Amino acid sequence: MTTLTRQDLNFGQVVADILCEFLEVAIHLILYVREVYPSGIFQKRKKYNVPVQMSCHPELNQYIQDTLHCMKPLIEKNDAEKVVVVIMDKEHRPVERFVFEISQPTLLSIRCVHVDVCFCFCCCSSDSLLSHVEQLLRAFILKISVCDAVLNNNPPGCSFSVLVHTREAATRSMEKVQVIKDFPWIVADEQEVHMKEPRLIPLKTMTSDIVKVRKLLAAERLHDVI
Amino acid sequence: MDDLYLDNIDEFVNDHNKIVTYKWLSLTLGVHVNTAKQMLYHYLDHKRKESSAQVHATYLVSGKFVDNGQTGHRVSVVREDQLEDVKSRMSPIVSVHIYSVQKALLKDSGPLYSVDYDAVKDNLQNCSRYGAVRCSSAVPMSSLELQQARGARQALPPEPEQKKSSANTDTNVVSKPPSKPQKGIMGMFASKAAPKAQESSRDNKSEQEEAARVDPVQSKPARKPNPGANFFRVQTSKKPAEEKTSSSPPPAEQNLLPSKPQTKQEAAAVEAPKDAKRESRSKTKRVESDSEEDKTEKKKRRRIKKPDPDSSDEDVIPDSPPRMETRRLSPSPEKEIPPVTRSQCGNIEGKVRKRRRVLKSRAFIDDEGCIVTVKDYESESYSETEDDVQATRQAGKDPVPAKPAVSNKQEDKKGHKKSSANANKGAKQASIMGFFHKK
Repeated sequence: MTTLTRQDLNFGQVVADILCEFLEVAIHLILYVREVYPSGIFQKRKKYNVPVQMSCHPELNQYIQDTLHCMKPLIEKNDAEKVVVVIMDKEHRPVERFVFEISQPTLLSIRCVHVDVCFCFCCCSSDSLLSHVEQLLRAFILKISVCDAVLNNNPPGCSFSVLVHTREAATRSMEKVQVIKDFPWIVADEQEVHMKEPRLIPLKTMTSDIVKVRKLLAAERLHDVI
Repeated sequence: MDDLYLDNIDEFVNDHNKIVTYKWLSLTLGVHVNTAKQMLYHYLDHKRKESSAQVHATYLVSGKFVDNGQTGHRVSVVREDQLEDVKSRMSPIVSVHIYSVQKALLKDSGPLYSVDYDAVKDNLQNCSRYGAVRCSSAVPMSSLELQQARGARQALPPEPEQKKSSANTDTNVVSKPPSKPQKGIMGMFASKAAPKAQESSRDNKSEQEEAARVDPVQSKPARKPNPGANFFRVQTSKKPAEEKTSSSPPPAEQNLLPSKPQTKQEAAAVEAPKDAKRESRSKTKRVESDSEEDKTEKKKRRRIKKPDPDSSDEDVIPDSPPRMETRRLSPSPEKEIPPVTRSQCGNIEGKVRKRRRVLKSRAFIDDEGCIVTVKDYESESYSETEDDVQATRQAGKDPVPAKPAVSNKQEDKKGHKKSSANANKGAKQASIMGFFHKK
C-alpha cells in the first residue's frame, strides 16, 4: 500500500513537471514558428536531445515561466483541462489556437486553432519507458516546427496569450490562492476564446506506455483565413 | 520499384507532413543512401512538373569556400532558393545533392536534425548500414572486448581523439565561417552546416573532455576491483557522462556527421577509415552502454526522485519492518526467553510451580484463545479463587515476567496467536492492559 501511495503522490508531480517542461518548450517554439516575435530574440537550445528555439527576452521568458508556474498546481491536481496558446491579431481576435488538452491520468491532448489543426499524442507511462515519453514529446516538438505547412501565415502584429480551461470549481480556488503574487488569473473574454468557423486538422497522434496513467492527446486546429 | 516509391515519399511528405531527409528515407525504406537521394530527386522533379502542391527542398553542397581570405572546405545544407548563391561562392564544387524534401518552409535547421534523430537512434547498431562509407576492418567489438576496452580506455583515450579532431579539420574549418554572422536565411542554413561541424568538432572536444571526465570517475571505482563495485561503477560513470553533455546522443550523430562529408570528400576518405574505426569502436562502446544505461539510468533517476519528496513514506517503511520483527520474534520466543528466565529466577520459584499446575488444568478447558493465558495470571498472583477480570487488572504489572514463562511452557501446546500476543505484551507493558480490557 505504501508504495502505491508513494507512486500516486509522485505521479501528479512528475506528470506536472514533465508537462510544464514540455509546455514551456512548446510555447517558445510556437512563438518562434508562428513568428509572433522576431526570430532575432530566439536562440537554439537543446531539449529532448534535439535543437529547439527559445526566446532570450527576459520579460517574455519570465511571463512564460510565471504562467506555467501558476499552472502547475492545477495540472498536479488534474484540474486543468486545456492549456491554450492563443495567437491574436491586432484587434485581439484569435487567429490561431494551440490547444493542449490535458486529462491525466488518462489523457492529455494538445490542439491549436486558428484555423484548426489537430495534434494528438497519448502516452501512458511506466518508468522503464520514460525515454519513450521523451521520444513522443520530441516528435511533438517536431510537429510544431513543421506546422506552418498546414497553417496560413499570420497577419503582422500578432500577440499571444495563454488560457487555461479548468475543470469544475478549480477556478475559484485558483482565484483565492495566487501562486505568484500579483500574477492573477483572469477570466478570458468570450472573444478570445471563440473563433469563427474553426477547422480541425489532425496533425499527430501517438500512444505509448510510459506512465500507464497518462495520455497525451494534442490537437491543433486550423480554419481557413479569409 | 519505379513509381511506387514516389507514392511512398508523397505520403510521407504530404499526408504525414514529414520532413523527409535522404538519411531518414534510406533507413526507413532500407535502401542505400545514394538511392535515397535519387528517389528524393525524382520525387522533387516529379512534383515540380506537376506543380501541384508546394514542396520545399534543401540541398547539401560541399566544396572549397573562400571566406575572409581563409580557404576551407565547407559542407552546407541550404534551402533551394539559396542553392545557386552558395554554389556560386564555392570555387570547385565537390558535391551537390538533395538533402531533404518537406512541405513546410524550414526556418532553421533544427528540425532536420530532429527528424533523423529517432531514426538513427532506432538503428544505432547499424545506422551506417546503408551508408556509402565502408571500412571492412571496422568490426564491432564483442562484449568481452568491450569490457577490456573499457578498462584500457582510461589509459588510451586522449591520443586517438586528438588525431581524430585533426582528421576532421575540414569540418572544423567549415565551422569557422558561419560563426561570423551571415545574411538572412542563408545564414541559418549555412549555420546548419556550422552547428553540425561545430558539433562534430565539439564532439571531438567533448570526447576528450569526456574522456578526461570519465577518467576520474572511472578511476575511482577502479580502485575497488570487487564485482559489486564494478556494477556500480558502470552506472555512476555513465550517469555523469550522460548528464553533463550530449555525450551519449552525439556518438550516434557523430559517426554520421563525419561520414557525411566523407562521402563527398573522396580525398578525405583515406583518413576516413581510421576515423571510422575509432569512431565505430567508441561508438559501439557507447551505443551499447547507452541502450543499457539509458533505461537503467532513467529508472534510477526516478528511484532517486521517489525517496526525496516522500520522506514521510520513508517513515512509513521503517515502521512496518519493526512490526514484522515483533511478529517474527514472537513465534520463536528464544530471544525473549532469557529475560524471562531471569525473571523467573528473580521471582520465587514456588510461584512458578503453582502456575504450572493451574495452567495445565485450565488449559485443557479452553485450549484456544487468550482467555487461557488470563487464567494463568490469576494463578500467579495467587488469585485463583478471585474473578478473572480483577485478576487481570492486578496482574497488569506482574504479567510480563509471568506471561513469557507461561508461553515458554505452553508454546508447544498452544497456537501461534497466543505467542504473538505474548510477544506484543513483552514489547509493551501498557498495551497489555488494553488488550485484556477489550477481552
